[in-house]
Order: sequence, then C-alpha cells, then structure tokens
Amino acid sequence: RTIFTSVHIRPHPGRISHILRSEELGLARRVCPKPSPGPPSLSFCAAPAPGRSFALSPPHLRPPRPHHRSSGTMVAAKKTKKAQESINNRLALVMKSGKYTLGYTTTLKSLRGGKGKLVIIANNCPPLRKSEIEYYAMLSKTGVHHYSGNNVDLGTACGKYFRVCTLSITDPGDSDIIRSMPTE
Amino acid sequence: MVKFLKPNKVVVLLQGRYAGRKAVIVKNFDDGTKERPYGHAIVTGIAKYPRKVIKKASQKTIAKRSRLKAFTKVVNYNHIMPTRYTLDVDLKNTVTAEKLESTASRVEARKAAKAVLEERFKTGKNRWFFSKLRF
Repeated sequence: RTIFTSVHIRPHPGRISHILRSEELGLARRVCPKPSPGPPSLSFCAAPAPGRSFALSPPHLRPPRPHHRSSGTMVAAKKTKKAQESINNRLALVMKSGKYTLGYTTTLKSLRGGKGKLVIIANNCPPLRKSEIEYYAMLSKTGVHHYSGNNVDLGTACGKYFRVCTLSITDPGDSDIIRSMPTE
Repeated sequence: MVKFLKPNKVVVLLQGRYAGRKAVIVKNFDDGTKERPYGHAIVTGIAKYPRKVIKKASQKTIAKRSRLKAFTKVVNYNHIMPTRYTLDVDLKNTVTAEKLESTASRVEARKAAKAVLEERFKTGKNRWFFSKLRF
C-alpha cells in the first residue's frame, strides 16, 4: 500500500556531479587535444569532448590520444624519495607551528574566504573533487600541490591517525612550504 | 588568497529547485547574519532560459522566444559553484535583503530583475550566462 507523498520530485543522487561534469563547466574532463568550439571553454581544463566521453567508446574506435602533459589535470611526476621527505618535513613543521585545515569542506571554506595559502591534494582524490578544488584555487589564486601519496599517506604526514584527502594551509608558521613548494 | 565571491560573479546553483541554473551574486555575506549564521549570498538567476532564436524568425517570434524568467534567492555558499565569469548588472537596489522578506515585494524585485536581464540578453553580450547549462 503506497503512502501518498508530496508531489515534489526527489532530486536524483549525483545531481551535483552531473552539474559539475557538464560540458560547459567541464570539471574532471579528460585532457583532449581538440581545439575548443565557439563558446569559451575553461582554459585550464581541456575542451569538452563533443558528446560522449572517450571512456564509453570501444578502444579501436577511439581517436588516438597523443601523450601530452597538462598542468592541473595530470598527476605529478613520480617524486624522488628526497623530495618526498622534504615535503613531509615541511608539512610537519606547518602542523607544529602554523595554521591549517584538514578535509574537503573546510578547505573549500578557506578558499572561499581567501584564507588558504596552499592547498595539498592526495593522489587518490576523486578526479571530480580534485578538479573542483583546483578550480576554486584558480579563482582565488592559491597554489595547489599534488601530494605524491594517497590520503592515508597524507594523513600520516600530517601526524594524524585518519585519512586526509585535502588540506589547506592558512598560515605556514615557521615553514617555508609556500615559498618552496610551488617552484618544485 | 583572493576572495572571489563578490557581487557580479556568475555562479551555478547546485542544490534546490534551481539546481543547474546560472545566477549572479547581487550581495554576499561572507560571515553570515544573525538569522543565517553561515556564508550566504543573494543571487538573481534565470529560472527559465530564453529560447534559441534564429535570424530568419519574425520579430514577433523573436520577441516571444527572448523572454526569460528570473528568480531571486538567498543561497548558502555550499550550494553554489562559482565560475570564472562575471556579469556587470546593477541589481544592488532592485534586489535587496528586505525586499526578499515579503512575498509582494519579492515578486516586484523579480520582475525588475527580469527586465534588466532581458535587456542584457537582447544586446547579445554575456552569451554564456544566458545559455542553458546542459547536464
């Protein structure tokens, strides 16, 4: 026996991701070599594919994808052990002496308020979330660092016993992480 | 390091009845108010987008299809996706917090906003704002 509910249509789950993945906002798009059509598309994410994403077409019909690097969407090159250690040291110093926020919602808040100075994203962050944070950082002119380690490693690097996918440094304290990180 | 949620910024609403619609920030309250202790903004957006118009169509058809329906809303920052676009419209005095309090003045504000947006659409500028976001 169905219970009468109001006529309001339930929003279907995943609506936000649908909006963010749309052609025009184009977050989490695969990097595509095609030039963008008429309306301006986001410059930092590549031009949207004409209709379906390449992942849906069979491999032999897909256009050949040249190897290319694009800032922002590609994963950072494999870090040397030394570079990785130095990031960890700098992070530890920030944890001790500076101000930071851990977690997706608070990093977005810090970016919106213009308080974030550097955003660090783990490498297993879901691509849509990664793109969204990069877009916010682009708008607020904040640096983004792609940590070469997953959220478990990033949490350990912060000295925490939980996973950290995204973190935002609002005040580096004694650390020089902001000056040195973006240049690496 | 730069605050980007400012008046005239184009945003896309992510939640609610107007999810997926584009809107302009008219006034923002970064630290919230007593009634709304969270960051929020008054936005004016397009509820019903103007339809496609081709040059061959008659004046009457063009006029009819260039109509749009506007909405005004107070919306939480979490339910907004900012974009890199801006829309230079002066809605500061037509859409205010006090106007949004009563239904009658709200309707008035909406009508005034609709007129402003329709004018802007007819000039052909800011085309991205007036195109429907397909998702």
